[in-house]
Amino acid sequence: MSRNRLLFIITSALFFLLPVLLLVLQSVSETWRFQAGQGFTFQLDSFEVLTSDPNLWSATGWSIAIGAGVLVTNLLIGILTGKALATMDFKGKSFVEAMMLSPILIPVLAIAMGLHLFMIRIGLADTLAGVILIHLVPTVPYSVKIFQNAYRQMGSDLLEQPLILGATPVHQLFTVELPLMKPAIRSVTFLTIVISLSQYAITAIIGGGTVITLPMVFFPFLDTANASIMAAFSIWFAMIPLLLYVIMEAILLLLPYTNIPWRNRT
Amino acid sequence: MTNTLEIQKLTKQFNEQSILRDITFSVEKGEVLSIVGPSGSGKTTLLRILAGLEPLTTGTISISGQDVTEKKANKRSVSLVFQQPLLFPHMTVEENIRYGAKLAKKDSKRKTQSLLEAIGLLDYKDYYPAEISGGQQQRVALARAMATEPEVILFDEPFSSLDPQLRKELRLWVRTFLTERSITSIFVTHDTEEAMLMGDRVAVFHEGKFQQVDQPSTLLQSPNHPFVAHFLGGHLVIDEERYIPVQSCLFRPPSDTSYEQHEGTIQHKTYQHGQTIGHLFLESLGEKVSLPVQEGSVGAELSLYLPLDKIKRFEGGRT
Repeated sequence: MSRNRLLFIITSALFFLLPVLLLVLQSVSETWRFQAGQGFTFQLDSFEVLTSDPNLWSATGWSIAIGAGVLVTNLLIGILTGKALATMDFKGKSFVEAMMLSPILIPVLAIAMGLHLFMIRIGLADTLAGVILIHLVPTVPYSVKIFQNAYRQMGSDLLEQPLILGATPVHQLFTVELPLMKPAIRSVTFLTIVISLSQYAITAIIGGGTVITLPMVFFPFLDTANASIMAAFSIWFAMIPLLLYVIMEAILLLLPYTNIPWRNRT
Repeated sequence: MTNTLEIQKLTKQFNEQSILRDITFSVEKGEVLSIVGPSGSGKTTLLRILAGLEPLTTGTISISGQDVTEKKANKRSVSLVFQQPLLFPHMTVEENIRYGAKLAKKDSKRKTQSLLEAIGLLDYKDYYPAEISGGQQQRVALARAMATEPEVILFDEPFSSLDPQLRKELRLWVRTFLTERSITSIFVTHDTEEAMLMGDRVAVFHEGKFQQVDQPSTLLQSPNHPFVAHFLGGHLVIDEERYIPVQSCLFRPPSDTSYEQHEGTIQHKTYQHGQTIGHLFLESLGEKVSLPVQEGSVGAELSLYLPLDKIKRFEGGRT
Protein backbone atom coordinates (compact mmCIF):
# COMPACT_ATOMS: atom_id res chain seq x y z
CA MET A 1 0.00 0.00 0.00
CA SER A 2 2.71 2.48 1.01
CA ARG A 3 4.69 1.54 -2.11
CA ASN A 4 1.70 2.35 -4.27
CA ARG A 5 1.30 5.61 -2.45
CA LEU A 6 4.92 6.51 -3.07
CA LEU A 7 4.55 5.62 -6.73
CA PHE A 8 1.45 7.81 -6.92
CA ILE A 9 3.21 10.77 -5.32
CA ILE A 10 6.25 10.44 -7.61
CA THR A 11 4.15 10.05 -10.76
CA SER A 12 1.85 12.94 -9.97
CA ALA A 13 4.79 15.16 -9.01
CA LEU A 14 6.64 14.30 -12.21
CA PHE A 15 3.79 14.50 -14.69
CA PHE A 16 1.42 16.97 -13.08
CA LEU A 17 2.96 19.25 -10.48
CA LEU A 18 6.30 19.75 -12.20
CA PRO A 19 4.85 20.90 -15.55
CA VAL A 20 2.47 23.26 -13.76
CA LEU A 21 5.35 24.64 -11.70
CA LEU A 22 7.44 25.13 -14.85
CA LEU A 23 4.52 26.90 -16.51
CA VAL A 24 4.12 29.26 -13.56
CA LEU A 25 7.86 29.94 -13.42
CA GLN A 26 8.00 30.55 -17.16
CA SER A 27 5.17 33.05 -16.97
CA VAL A 28 7.04 35.20 -14.45
CA SER A 29 10.52 34.89 -15.94
CA GLU A 30 12.19 35.81 -19.17
CA THR A 31 12.18 33.18 -21.87
CA TRP A 32 14.52 30.48 -20.77
CA ARG A 33 16.45 28.39 -23.26
CA PHE A 34 18.31 25.20 -22.66
CA GLN A 35 22.09 25.73 -22.15
CA ALA A 36 21.82 29.42 -22.90
CA GLY A 37 23.75 30.11 -19.77
CA GLN A 38 21.05 32.41 -18.39
CA GLY A 39 19.65 32.26 -14.90
CA PHE A 40 16.16 32.97 -13.67
CA THR A 41 15.18 36.57 -14.40
CA PHE A 42 11.97 37.65 -12.71
CA GLN A 43 9.59 39.77 -14.76
CA LEU A 44 5.87 40.52 -15.00
CA ASP A 45 5.96 41.85 -18.57
CA SER A 46 4.13 38.84 -19.95
CA PHE A 47 1.12 39.50 -17.69
CA GLU A 48 1.28 43.18 -18.62
CA VAL A 49 1.13 42.29 -22.31
CA LEU A 50 -1.77 40.01 -21.54
CA THR A 51 -3.79 42.55 -19.58
CA SER A 52 -3.05 45.27 -22.10
CA ASP A 53 -5.20 43.46 -24.62
CA PRO A 54 -8.41 45.51 -24.67
CA ASN A 55 -10.55 42.45 -25.30
CA LEU A 56 -9.16 40.28 -22.48
CA TRP A 57 -11.70 41.03 -19.77
CA SER A 58 -14.71 41.01 -22.02
CA ALA A 59 -13.51 37.78 -23.66
CA THR A 60 -13.04 36.21 -20.23
CA GLY A 61 -16.56 37.29 -19.33
CA TRP A 62 -17.97 35.84 -22.54
CA SER A 63 -16.06 32.60 -22.03
CA ILE A 64 -17.33 32.23 -18.46
CA ALA A 65 -20.90 33.02 -19.49
CA ILE A 66 -20.78 30.58 -22.39
CA GLY A 67 -19.06 27.90 -20.23
CA ALA A 68 -21.66 28.28 -17.46
CA GLY A 69 -24.55 28.23 -19.94
CA VAL A 70 -23.17 25.16 -21.71
CA LEU A 71 -22.63 23.43 -18.36
CA VAL A 72 -26.13 24.08 -17.02
CA THR A 73 -27.75 22.98 -20.29
CA ASN A 74 -25.55 19.89 -20.36
CA LEU A 75 -26.54 18.98 -16.80
CA LEU A 76 -30.22 19.36 -17.65
CA ILE A 77 -30.12 17.39 -20.89
CA GLY A 78 -27.61 14.85 -19.57
CA ILE A 79 -29.52 14.01 -16.38
CA LEU A 80 -32.93 13.76 -18.04
CA THR A 81 -31.78 11.81 -21.11
CA GLY A 82 -29.28 9.71 -19.18
CA LYS A 83 -31.98 8.65 -16.70
CA ALA A 84 -34.43 7.82 -19.45
CA LEU A 85 -31.88 5.75 -21.35
CA ALA A 86 -30.72 3.92 -18.22
CA THR A 87 -34.08 3.14 -16.65
CA MET A 88 -36.62 2.92 -19.46
CA ASP A 89 -37.15 0.20 -22.01
CA PHE A 90 -38.70 1.18 -25.30
CA LYS A 91 -38.67 0.23 -28.92
CA GLY A 92 -35.77 1.65 -30.88
CA LYS A 93 -33.76 2.42 -27.73
CA SER A 94 -30.43 1.42 -29.29
CA PHE A 95 -31.21 3.62 -32.28
CA VAL A 96 -31.85 6.59 -29.99
CA GLU A 97 -28.61 5.83 -28.14
CA ALA A 98 -26.69 5.80 -31.41
CA MET A 99 -28.32 9.05 -32.48
CA MET A 100 -27.27 10.68 -29.22
CA LEU A 101 -23.64 9.93 -30.08
CA SER A 102 -23.87 11.00 -33.72
CA PRO A 103 -22.86 14.68 -33.20
CA ILE A 104 -19.33 13.61 -32.31
CA LEU A 105 -19.08 11.36 -35.35
CA ILE A 106 -19.55 14.27 -37.77
CA PRO A 107 -16.95 17.11 -37.81
CA VAL A 108 -18.48 19.87 -35.71
CA LEU A 109 -17.26 22.46 -38.21
CA ALA A 110 -19.51 20.96 -40.87
CA ILE A 111 -22.48 21.11 -38.49
CA ALA A 112 -21.70 24.71 -37.54
CA MET A 113 -21.49 25.84 -41.16
CA GLY A 114 -24.77 24.18 -41.92
CA LEU A 115 -26.44 25.59 -38.83
CA HIS A 116 -25.08 29.07 -39.44
CA LEU A 117 -27.63 29.85 -42.13
CA PHE A 118 -30.40 28.49 -39.97
CA MET A 119 -29.24 30.56 -37.00
CA ILE A 120 -29.11 33.73 -39.11
CA ARG A 121 -32.66 33.05 -40.20
CA ILE A 122 -34.00 32.61 -36.66
CA GLY A 123 -31.84 35.41 -35.27
CA LEU A 124 -29.51 33.32 -33.14
CA ALA A 125 -26.34 34.14 -35.06
CA ASP A 126 -23.99 36.57 -33.31
CA THR A 127 -25.69 35.94 -29.94
CA LEU A 128 -24.68 34.29 -26.69
CA ALA A 129 -27.56 31.80 -26.95
CA GLY A 130 -26.45 30.80 -30.45
CA VAL A 131 -22.89 30.13 -29.32
CA ILE A 132 -24.12 28.15 -26.31
CA LEU A 133 -26.33 26.11 -28.62
CA ILE A 134 -23.50 25.28 -31.01
CA HIS A 135 -21.22 24.37 -28.09
CA LEU A 136 -23.80 21.76 -27.06
CA VAL A 137 -22.99 19.78 -30.21
CA PRO A 138 -19.55 18.59 -29.10
CA THR A 139 -20.49 18.30 -25.40
CA VAL A 140 -23.97 16.83 -24.97
CA PRO A 141 -23.12 13.34 -26.29
CA TYR A 142 -20.49 12.95 -23.55
CA SER A 143 -22.78 14.26 -20.81
CA VAL A 144 -25.60 11.91 -21.79
CA LYS A 145 -23.20 8.95 -21.79
CA ILE A 146 -21.72 9.90 -18.41
CA PHE A 147 -25.13 10.32 -16.73
CA GLN A 148 -26.51 7.22 -18.39
CA ASN A 149 -23.66 5.24 -16.86
CA ALA A 150 -24.14 6.92 -13.48
CA TYR A 151 -27.84 5.98 -13.42
CA ARG A 152 -27.10 2.45 -14.61
CA GLN A 153 -24.57 2.06 -11.83
CA MET A 154 -27.12 3.22 -9.27
CA GLY A 155 -29.54 0.57 -10.49
CA SER A 156 -33.28 0.81 -10.97
CA ASP A 157 -33.94 -0.94 -7.63
CA LEU A 158 -32.24 1.80 -5.65
CA LEU A 159 -34.14 4.38 -7.67
CA GLU A 160 -37.44 2.74 -6.71
CA GLN A 161 -36.65 2.83 -3.00
CA PRO A 162 -37.31 6.56 -2.44
CA LEU A 163 -40.58 6.20 -4.33
CA ILE A 164 -41.66 3.38 -2.01
CA LEU A 165 -40.77 5.56 0.97
CA GLY A 166 -43.04 8.32 -0.35
CA ALA A 167 -40.65 10.66 -2.18
CA THR A 168 -41.77 12.73 -5.14
CA PRO A 169 -39.52 12.59 -8.24
CA VAL A 170 -38.08 16.06 -7.51
CA HIS A 171 -37.36 15.20 -3.86
CA GLN A 172 -35.75 11.96 -5.04
CA LEU A 173 -33.57 13.88 -7.52
CA PHE A 174 -32.17 16.19 -4.86
CA THR A 175 -31.87 13.76 -1.96
CA VAL A 176 -30.73 10.58 -3.69
CA GLU A 177 -29.84 10.95 -7.36
CA LEU A 178 -27.73 14.13 -7.37
CA PRO A 179 -25.76 13.28 -4.19
CA LEU A 180 -24.94 9.85 -5.60
CA MET A 181 -23.96 11.31 -8.98
CA LYS A 182 -21.42 13.81 -7.67
CA PRO A 183 -18.50 12.14 -9.46
CA ALA A 184 -20.47 12.24 -12.73
CA ILE A 185 -21.39 15.90 -12.18
CA ARG A 186 -17.70 16.72 -11.58
CA SER A 187 -16.65 14.91 -14.77
CA VAL A 188 -19.30 16.69 -16.81
CA THR A 189 -18.32 20.05 -15.30
CA PHE A 190 -14.68 19.74 -16.32
CA LEU A 191 -15.34 18.10 -19.65
CA THR A 192 -17.96 20.52 -20.93
CA ILE A 193 -16.18 23.67 -19.78
CA VAL A 194 -12.85 22.60 -21.23
CA ILE A 195 -14.44 21.54 -24.52
CA SER A 196 -16.48 24.74 -24.69
CA LEU A 197 -13.44 26.92 -23.92
CA SER A 198 -11.37 25.28 -26.64
CA GLN A 199 -13.82 25.93 -29.47
CA TYR A 200 -12.37 28.48 -31.83
CA ALA A 201 -13.81 27.91 -35.28
CA ILE A 202 -17.42 27.27 -34.38
CA THR A 203 -17.49 30.16 -31.91
CA ALA A 204 -16.09 32.45 -34.60
CA ILE A 205 -18.64 31.28 -37.16
CA ILE A 206 -21.74 31.51 -34.96
CA GLY A 207 -20.48 34.38 -32.78
CA GLY A 208 -19.69 36.29 -35.94
CA GLY A 209 -17.19 38.59 -34.28
CA THR A 210 -19.73 39.90 -31.78
CA VAL A 211 -19.11 37.13 -29.29
CA ILE A 212 -15.38 37.22 -28.69
CA THR A 213 -14.07 34.43 -26.48
CA LEU A 214 -10.64 33.77 -25.01
CA PRO A 215 -9.38 31.48 -27.83
CA MET A 216 -9.97 34.36 -30.25
CA VAL A 217 -7.89 36.70 -28.11
CA PHE A 218 -5.37 33.91 -27.71
CA PHE A 219 -5.00 33.22 -31.43
CA PRO A 220 -2.91 36.26 -32.48
CA PHE A 221 -0.45 35.49 -29.68
CA LEU A 222 0.34 32.14 -31.27
CA ASP A 223 2.51 34.04 -33.74
CA THR A 224 4.88 35.19 -31.05
CA ALA A 225 7.74 32.99 -30.03
CA ASN A 226 7.60 34.48 -26.55
CA ALA A 227 7.12 31.51 -24.27
CA SER A 228 6.55 33.75 -21.24
CA ILE A 229 3.49 35.38 -22.77
CA MET A 230 2.17 32.02 -23.87
CA ALA A 231 2.65 30.67 -20.34
CA ALA A 232 0.87 33.66 -18.83
CA PHE A 233 -1.99 33.16 -21.23
CA SER A 234 -2.22 29.44 -20.46
CA ILE A 235 -2.46 30.15 -16.75
CA TRP A 236 -5.18 32.74 -17.35
CA PHE A 237 -6.97 30.22 -19.52
CA ALA A 238 -6.75 27.43 -16.95
CA MET A 239 -8.23 29.63 -14.24
CA ILE A 240 -11.69 29.58 -15.86
CA PRO A 241 -12.45 25.83 -15.58
CA LEU A 242 -10.89 25.92 -12.13
CA LEU A 243 -13.12 28.80 -11.06
CA LEU A 244 -16.25 27.16 -12.41
CA TYR A 245 -15.23 23.87 -10.80
CA VAL A 246 -14.84 25.55 -7.42
CA ILE A 247 -18.27 27.16 -7.82
CA MET A 248 -19.75 23.76 -8.76
CA GLU A 249 -18.12 22.13 -5.69
CA ALA A 250 -19.65 24.82 -3.48
CA ILE A 251 -23.08 24.16 -5.00
CA LEU A 252 -22.62 20.41 -4.50
CA LEU A 253 -21.90 21.01 -0.82
CA LEU A 254 -25.39 22.47 -0.51
CA LEU A 255 -27.02 19.19 -1.56
CA PRO A 256 -28.84 17.38 1.25
CA TYR A 257 -27.12 14.40 2.88
CA THR A 258 -23.69 15.59 1.81
CA ASN A 259 -20.99 13.67 3.61
CA ILE A 260 -19.32 15.77 6.23
CA PRO A 261 -15.86 16.13 4.65
CA TRP A 262 -13.97 15.85 7.90
CA ARG A 263 -15.69 12.68 9.04
CA ASN A 264 -13.33 9.74 9.26
CA ARG A 265 -14.64 6.92 7.13
CA THR A 266 -13.48 3.52 8.25
CA MET B 1 -63.65 -3.72 8.84
CA THR B 2 -60.79 -5.96 9.95
CA ASN B 3 -59.23 -6.52 6.55
CA THR B 4 -56.34 -4.17 5.96
CA LEU B 5 -55.62 -5.32 2.45
CA GLU B 6 -58.20 -6.52 -0.06
CA ILE B 7 -57.40 -7.64 -3.56
CA GLN B 8 -60.22 -8.27 -6.01
CA LYS B 9 -59.85 -10.11 -9.33
CA LEU B 10 -56.34 -8.90 -9.97
CA THR B 11 -54.88 -9.85 -13.35
CA LYS B 12 -51.66 -8.89 -15.04
CA GLN B 13 -50.78 -9.51 -18.65
CA PHE B 14 -47.44 -8.86 -20.18
CA ASN B 15 -46.98 -9.22 -23.94
CA GLU B 16 -50.26 -11.12 -24.10
CA GLN B 17 -48.98 -13.58 -21.52
CA SER B 18 -50.96 -13.93 -18.31
CA ILE B 19 -48.69 -13.54 -15.29
CA LEU B 20 -51.40 -13.13 -12.67
CA ARG B 21 -54.84 -14.66 -13.19
CA ASP B 22 -57.86 -13.42 -11.36
CA ILE B 23 -56.33 -13.24 -7.89
CA THR B 24 -58.67 -12.45 -5.00
CA PHE B 25 -57.54 -12.46 -1.39
CA SER B 26 -57.46 -10.36 1.75
CA VAL B 27 -55.13 -9.93 4.68
CA GLU B 28 -56.45 -9.12 8.13
CA LYS B 29 -54.99 -6.44 10.32
CA GLY B 30 -51.84 -7.73 12.01
CA GLU B 31 -51.77 -10.88 9.92
CA VAL B 32 -48.69 -12.17 8.10
CA LEU B 33 -49.47 -13.89 4.82
CA SER B 34 -46.65 -15.92 3.28
CA ILE B 35 -46.68 -16.42 -0.45
CA VAL B 36 -44.55 -19.33 -1.58
CA GLY B 37 -43.95 -20.61 -5.07
CA PRO B 38 -41.23 -21.56 -7.50
CA SER B 39 -38.85 -18.90 -8.83
CA GLY B 40 -40.23 -17.03 -11.80
CA SER B 41 -43.87 -17.75 -10.96
CA GLY B 42 -44.81 -14.06 -10.70
CA LYS B 43 -44.69 -13.54 -6.92
CA THR B 44 -42.45 -10.50 -7.20
CA THR B 45 -44.71 -9.02 -9.88
CA LEU B 46 -47.65 -9.38 -7.50
CA LEU B 47 -45.77 -7.50 -4.76
CA ARG B 48 -44.65 -4.80 -7.17
CA ILE B 49 -48.25 -4.29 -8.25
CA LEU B 50 -49.39 -4.05 -4.63
CA ALA B 51 -46.64 -1.50 -3.94
CA GLY B 52 -47.64 0.55 -6.98
CA LEU B 53 -44.41 0.04 -8.88
CA GLU B 54 -46.13 -1.73 -11.73
CA PRO B 55 -49.54 -1.26 -13.31
CA LEU B 56 -52.12 -4.02 -13.18
CA THR B 57 -54.27 -5.08 -16.11
CA THR B 58 -57.59 -5.47 -14.28
CA GLY B 59 -58.77 -5.68 -10.67
CA THR B 60 -58.81 -3.51 -7.57
CA ILE B 61 -56.58 -3.06 -4.55
CA SER B 62 -57.99 -1.60 -1.34
CA ILE B 63 -56.13 -0.67 1.80
CA SER B 64 -58.27 -0.19 4.93
CA GLY B 65 -61.35 0.11 2.76
CA GLN B 66 -59.86 2.73 0.44
CA ASP B 67 -59.37 1.96 -3.23
CA VAL B 68 -55.69 2.61 -4.03
CA THR B 69 -55.59 0.92 -7.45
CA GLU B 70 -54.89 4.17 -9.28
CA LYS B 71 -52.60 5.66 -6.64
CA LYS B 72 -48.88 6.01 -7.34
CA ALA B 73 -46.29 4.18 -5.26
CA ASN B 74 -45.33 7.29 -3.27
CA LYS B 75 -48.95 7.90 -2.29
CA ARG B 76 -49.69 4.39 -0.98
CA SER B 77 -49.32 3.47 2.65
CA VAL B 78 -47.26 0.44 1.69
CA SER B 79 -43.59 -0.34 2.26
CA LEU B 80 -41.60 -2.87 0.30
CA VAL B 81 -38.46 -4.54 1.62
CA PHE B 82 -36.46 -5.88 -1.30
CA GLN B 83 -34.09 -8.84 -1.60
CA GLN B 84 -31.17 -6.43 -1.26
CA PRO B 85 -31.19 -3.89 1.60
CA LEU B 86 -30.84 -1.01 -0.94
CA LEU B 87 -29.89 1.50 1.73
CA PHE B 88 -28.90 4.95 0.51
CA PRO B 89 -25.09 4.75 0.58
CA HIS B 90 -24.60 8.46 1.21
CA MET B 91 -26.77 8.54 4.32
CA THR B 92 -25.97 7.25 7.78
CA VAL B 93 -28.01 4.46 9.35
CA GLU B 94 -30.07 7.04 11.22
CA GLU B 95 -30.63 9.22 8.15
CA ASN B 96 -31.71 6.17 6.18
CA ILE B 97 -34.31 5.28 8.81
CA ARG B 98 -35.63 8.83 9.02
CA TYR B 99 -35.81 9.38 5.25
CA GLY B 100 -39.29 7.95 4.70
CA ALA B 101 -40.55 9.01 8.13
CA LYS B 102 -39.81 12.66 7.35
CA LEU B 103 -41.71 12.40 4.06
CA ALA B 104 -44.68 10.79 5.79
CA LYS B 105 -44.45 13.55 8.45
CA LYS B 106 -44.12 10.85 11.08
CA ASP B 107 -40.56 11.61 12.08
CA SER B 108 -39.71 11.81 15.74
CA LYS B 109 -36.48 11.38 17.62
CA ARG B 110 -38.11 8.95 20.04
CA LYS B 111 -39.35 6.69 17.30
CA THR B 112 -36.00 6.60 15.54
CA GLN B 113 -34.36 5.84 18.86
CA SER B 114 -36.75 2.99 19.62
CA LEU B 115 -36.37 1.53 16.12
CA LEU B 116 -32.59 1.69 16.40
CA GLU B 117 -32.87 -0.08 19.74
CA ALA B 118 -35.22 -2.69 18.29
CA ILE B 119 -32.81 -3.55 15.51
CA GLY B 120 -29.91 -3.49 17.99
CA LEU B 121 -27.97 -0.83 16.11
CA LEU B 122 -28.17 2.15 18.42
CA ASP B 123 -24.38 2.38 18.56
CA TYR B 124 -24.17 2.28 14.79
CA LYS B 125 -26.52 5.15 14.03
CA ASP B 126 -23.77 7.36 12.59
CA TYR B 127 -22.27 4.60 10.47
CA TYR B 128 -22.65 4.47 6.73
CA PRO B 129 -24.25 1.36 5.16
CA ALA B 130 -20.90 0.25 3.71
CA GLU B 131 -19.51 0.08 7.24
CA ILE B 132 -22.00 -2.47 8.62
CA SER B 133 -22.61 -6.14 7.78
CA GLY B 134 -25.20 -7.55 5.37
CA GLY B 135 -27.49 -8.73 8.19
CA GLN B 136 -27.30 -5.35 9.89
CA GLN B 137 -28.06 -3.62 6.60
CA GLN B 138 -31.17 -5.75 6.12
CA ARG B 139 -32.32 -4.85 9.63
CA VAL B 140 -31.84 -1.16 8.86
CA ALA B 141 -33.88 -1.65 5.68
CA LEU B 142 -36.66 -3.13 7.81
CA ALA B 143 -36.50 -0.27 10.31
CA ARG B 144 -36.59 2.21 7.42
CA ALA B 145 -39.72 0.53 6.06
CA MET B 146 -41.26 0.51 9.56
CA ALA B 147 -40.47 4.16 10.27
CA THR B 148 -43.03 5.39 7.73
CA GLU B 149 -45.69 3.50 9.73
CA PRO B 150 -47.23 1.92 6.64
CA GLU B 151 -50.47 0.00 6.85
CA VAL B 152 -48.90 -2.92 5.00
CA ILE B 153 -45.30 -4.06 4.67
CA LEU B 154 -44.37 -6.28 1.75
CA PHE B 155 -41.29 -8.47 1.89
CA ASP B 156 -39.72 -9.76 -1.30
CA GLU B 157 -37.40 -12.61 -0.25
CA PRO B 158 -35.61 -10.29 2.15
CA PHE B 159 -33.21 -12.92 3.43
CA SER B 160 -32.20 -14.58 0.19
CA SER B 161 -28.89 -12.77 -0.02
CA LEU B 162 -27.82 -13.79 3.48
CA ASP B 163 -25.92 -16.88 4.60
CA PRO B 164 -28.01 -19.74 6.09
CA GLN B 165 -27.09 -19.10 9.72
CA LEU B 166 -27.82 -15.39 9.59
CA ARG B 167 -30.95 -16.09 7.61
CA LYS B 168 -32.31 -18.34 10.36
CA GLU B 169 -31.58 -15.81 13.08
CA LEU B 170 -32.97 -12.87 11.15
CA ARG B 171 -36.23 -14.49 10.10
CA LEU B 172 -37.08 -15.42 13.66
CA TRP B 173 -36.26 -11.89 14.71
CA VAL B 174 -38.44 -10.38 11.97
CA ARG B 175 -41.31 -12.73 12.82
CA THR B 176 -41.25 -11.65 16.47
CA PHE B 177 -40.88 -8.02 15.43
CA LEU B 178 -43.97 -8.19 13.20
CA THR B 179 -46.07 -10.12 15.72
CA GLU B 180 -45.20 -7.85 18.66
CA ARG B 181 -46.24 -4.77 16.70
CA SER B 182 -49.14 -6.52 14.91
CA ILE B 183 -48.00 -5.31 11.52
CA THR B 184 -49.99 -6.44 8.49
CA SER B 185 -47.55 -7.94 6.04
CA ILE B 186 -47.07 -10.13 3.02
CA PHE B 187 -43.97 -12.22 2.88
CA VAL B 188 -42.85 -13.66 -0.42
CA THR B 189 -40.33 -16.50 -0.58
CA HIS B 190 -39.48 -19.61 -2.59
CA ASP B 191 -38.42 -21.43 0.57
CA THR B 192 -41.29 -23.49 1.99
CA GLU B 193 -39.75 -23.71 5.45
CA GLU B 194 -39.43 -19.95 5.60
CA ALA B 195 -43.00 -19.48 4.39
CA MET B 196 -44.34 -21.78 7.12
CA LEU B 197 -42.32 -20.05 9.80
CA MET B 198 -43.18 -16.49 8.79
CA GLY B 199 -46.83 -16.75 7.85
CA ASP B 200 -50.01 -17.01 9.91
CA ARG B 201 -51.38 -18.28 6.63
CA VAL B 202 -49.46 -19.58 3.64
CA ALA B 203 -50.50 -19.16 0.03
CA VAL B 204 -49.00 -21.52 -2.53
CA PHE B 205 -48.57 -19.62 -5.76
CA HIS B 206 -48.27 -21.30 -9.14
CA GLU B 207 -49.20 -20.50 -12.72
CA GLY B 208 -50.36 -17.01 -11.84
CA LYS B 209 -52.79 -17.92 -9.07
CA PHE B 210 -53.04 -19.16 -5.51
CA GLN B 211 -53.40 -22.93 -5.55
CA GLN B 212 -54.22 -23.06 -1.84
CA VAL B 213 -54.29 -20.59 1.04
CA ASP B 214 -54.34 -22.14 4.51
CA GLN B 215 -52.66 -22.29 7.85
CA PRO B 216 -49.28 -24.03 7.64
CA SER B 217 -50.45 -27.21 9.43
CA THR B 218 -53.57 -27.58 7.26
CA LEU B 219 -51.50 -27.03 4.16
CA LEU B 220 -49.07 -29.75 5.16
CA GLN B 221 -51.71 -32.24 6.24
CA SER B 222 -54.25 -31.81 3.48
CA PRO B 223 -52.95 -30.31 0.29
CA ASN B 224 -55.80 -29.74 -2.16
CA HIS B 225 -53.83 -29.84 -5.38
CA PRO B 226 -51.10 -32.13 -6.76
CA PHE B 227 -48.82 -29.10 -7.23
CA VAL B 228 -49.18 -28.14 -3.56
CA ALA B 229 -48.34 -31.68 -2.45
CA HIS B 230 -45.33 -31.77 -4.77
CA PHE B 231 -44.06 -28.36 -3.85
CA LEU B 232 -44.35 -28.71 -0.09
CA GLY B 233 -43.09 -32.32 -0.03
CA GLY B 234 -44.05 -34.87 2.61
CA HIS B 235 -46.54 -36.59 0.30
CA LEU B 236 -46.40 -39.07 -2.54
CA VAL B 237 -48.71 -38.01 -5.35
CA ILE B 238 -50.24 -41.17 -6.78
CA ASP B 239 -52.27 -39.54 -9.54
CA GLU B 240 -54.13 -36.27 -10.21
CA GLU B 241 -56.69 -37.17 -7.54
CA ARG B 242 -54.93 -39.15 -4.85
CA TYR B 243 -51.93 -38.82 -2.55
CA ILE B 244 -50.52 -40.47 0.53
CA PRO B 245 -48.40 -38.99 3.34
CA VAL B 246 -44.82 -40.22 3.06
CA GLN B 247 -44.80 -41.57 6.61
CA SER B 248 -47.66 -43.95 5.70
CA CYS B 249 -45.61 -45.59 2.91
CA LEU B 250 -44.20 -49.00 3.96
CA PHE B 251 -41.35 -51.15 2.74
CA ARG B 252 -43.15 -54.39 3.83
CA PRO B 253 -46.69 -55.35 2.94
CA PRO B 254 -49.11 -54.54 5.79
CA SER B 255 -50.85 -57.63 7.14
CA ASP B 256 -54.09 -56.02 8.32
CA THR B 257 -55.18 -54.00 5.33
CA SER B 258 -55.19 -54.04 1.54
CA TYR B 259 -52.56 -52.00 -0.29
CA GLU B 260 -51.12 -50.76 -3.58
CA GLN B 261 -47.64 -51.90 -4.52
CA HIS B 262 -45.14 -49.84 -6.55
CA GLU B 263 -41.58 -50.71 -7.59
CA GLY B 264 -38.83 -48.14 -7.12
CA THR B 265 -35.09 -47.54 -7.39
CA ILE B 266 -32.92 -45.66 -4.88
CA GLN B 267 -31.35 -42.89 -6.95
CA HIS B 268 -29.25 -41.34 -4.21
CA LYS B 269 -29.04 -40.91 -0.47
CA THR B 270 -28.68 -37.94 1.82
CA TYR B 271 -28.41 -37.56 5.58
CA GLN B 272 -30.72 -35.32 7.58
CA HIS B 273 -31.29 -35.02 11.34
CA GLY B 274 -29.28 -38.23 11.90
CA GLN B 275 -31.39 -40.24 9.47
CA THR B 276 -30.57 -41.74 6.10
CA ILE B 277 -32.96 -40.42 3.50
CA GLY B 278 -33.39 -42.43 0.33
CA HIS B 279 -34.52 -40.60 -2.79
CA LEU B 280 -36.60 -43.11 -4.72
CA PHE B 281 -37.89 -43.03 -8.24
CA LEU B 282 -41.14 -44.96 -8.69
CA GLU B 283 -41.29 -45.96 -12.32
CA SER B 284 -44.95 -46.97 -12.38
CA LEU B 285 -46.03 -43.54 -11.07
CA GLY B 286 -43.29 -41.53 -12.73
CA GLU B 287 -42.82 -39.89 -9.31
CA LYS B 288 -39.90 -39.22 -7.00
CA VAL B 289 -40.27 -39.56 -3.25
CA SER B 290 -37.86 -39.02 -0.36
CA LEU B 291 -38.23 -41.04 2.82
CA PRO B 292 -36.09 -42.56 5.59
CA VAL B 293 -34.56 -45.91 4.58
CA GLN B 294 -32.86 -48.49 6.77
CA GLU B 295 -31.17 -50.61 4.13
CA GLY B 296 -30.47 -50.71 0.42
CA SER B 297 -27.67 -49.04 -1.49
CA VAL B 298 -27.85 -46.58 -4.37
CA GLY B 299 -29.26 -48.34 -7.41
CA ALA B 300 -31.06 -50.99 -5.31
CA GLU B 301 -34.60 -51.87 -6.34
CA LEU B 302 -37.32 -52.12 -3.72
CA SER B 303 -41.09 -52.24 -3.37
CA LEU B 304 -43.19 -49.57 -1.73
CA TYR B 305 -46.54 -50.54 -0.18
CA LEU B 306 -49.27 -47.94 0.13
CA PRO B 307 -52.06 -48.97 2.56
CA LEU B 308 -55.41 -48.15 0.88
CA ASP B 309 -56.91 -46.75 4.08
CA LYS B 310 -54.14 -44.10 4.28
CA ILE B 311 -54.59 -42.86 0.72
CA LYS B 312 -56.35 -39.47 0.58
CA ARG B 313 -58.04 -37.53 -2.19
CA PHE B 314 -57.26 -33.94 -3.21
CA GLU B 315 -60.18 -31.73 -2.38
CA GLY B 316 -59.27 -29.20 -5.02
CA GLY B 317 -61.00 -26.06 -6.08
CA ARG B 318 -60.63 -24.27 -2.77
CA THR B 319 -58.40 -21.20 -2.85
